[in-house]
Amino acid sequence: MEIFEAIRGRRSIRKFEDKDIPMQDLKKILEAGVWAPSGSNIQPWEFILVKNKGTIEKIKLISPGLFGNPSALIILCINHERAKRGGKLGVKTALMDISMAAQNMMLTAYALGIGSCPVVSFNKLALKELLDVPDHVEPVLIISVGYPKFMPKPPKRRPLKEVVHIEKFGEHFNR
Amino acid sequence: MKSLENILTDDHFKLLAFLITSARGCVDEPILYGPLRLVDAASRLIDIMEKEGKANEQILKLQELIEEKKDLVMYDEEAFVNFLDELSRELAKIIKEERK
Repeated sequence: MEIFEAIRGRRSIRKFEDKDIPMQDLKKILEAGVWAPSGSNIQPWEFILVKNKGTIEKIKLISPGLFGNPSALIILCINHERAKRGGKLGVKTALMDISMAAQNMMLTAYALGIGSCPVVSFNKLALKELLDVPDHVEPVLIISVGYPKFMPKPPKRRPLKEVVHIEKFGEHFNR
Repeated sequence: MKSLENILTDDHFKLLAFLITSARGCVDEPILYGPLRLVDAASRLIDIMEKEGKANEQILKLQELIEEKKDLVMYDEEAFVNFLDELSRELAKIIKEERK
């Protein structure tokens, strides 16, 4: 699949088919995350893959923003021991790194015919407790994955001529 | 008293967990996520009412409306607020029509 097709086509999927994702595909999605850019190559991330249905149900209980019945969850975490190597900017940079890893994962999933949804509305403390996450590791994003039941229509996007500034702020594309 | 295994699949407990974690989430989340969580909880409550034989057709229509329009919060805030008004009006009709 051509990269721009994946970027334009990906949607946040909140309803999934009851069908497991092969482990080889999940590994490919996770591998895409590992190859994301990382400030100073610190790679401040930890990814927790959850496939167990019982565990997914428990995570849903403490995640108001997690919809549908995903086949698996990928929990993206900041490893603060690694992030502090980035100095005062370490945590901000870690969030950017993890965001880029998340996008790599979601685009790869889409190219494999797998839907995904990034979720930040979950209770961090409860999630850490549920999954035995150590103190220095902070879950910041859940990506739910599964085969889409349907693809939502594309939401409105701010147009390029509004978002992009040419050479200096306030100068836009004419058309 | 239910066992822990049963409690995790209990609809009331699921709603309880949703309410508590939503309460914490609302501290940091966008303002309109508060109303979103409340209408989502309303929909989950209607699920429970239906299982207990307490939801009539009009109440189930409220749930349909919620499920159809709650995602507007992510795309169109004004339409989401209009949906909350619509939901309130539909609720009022149910209350009004009910015999004393």
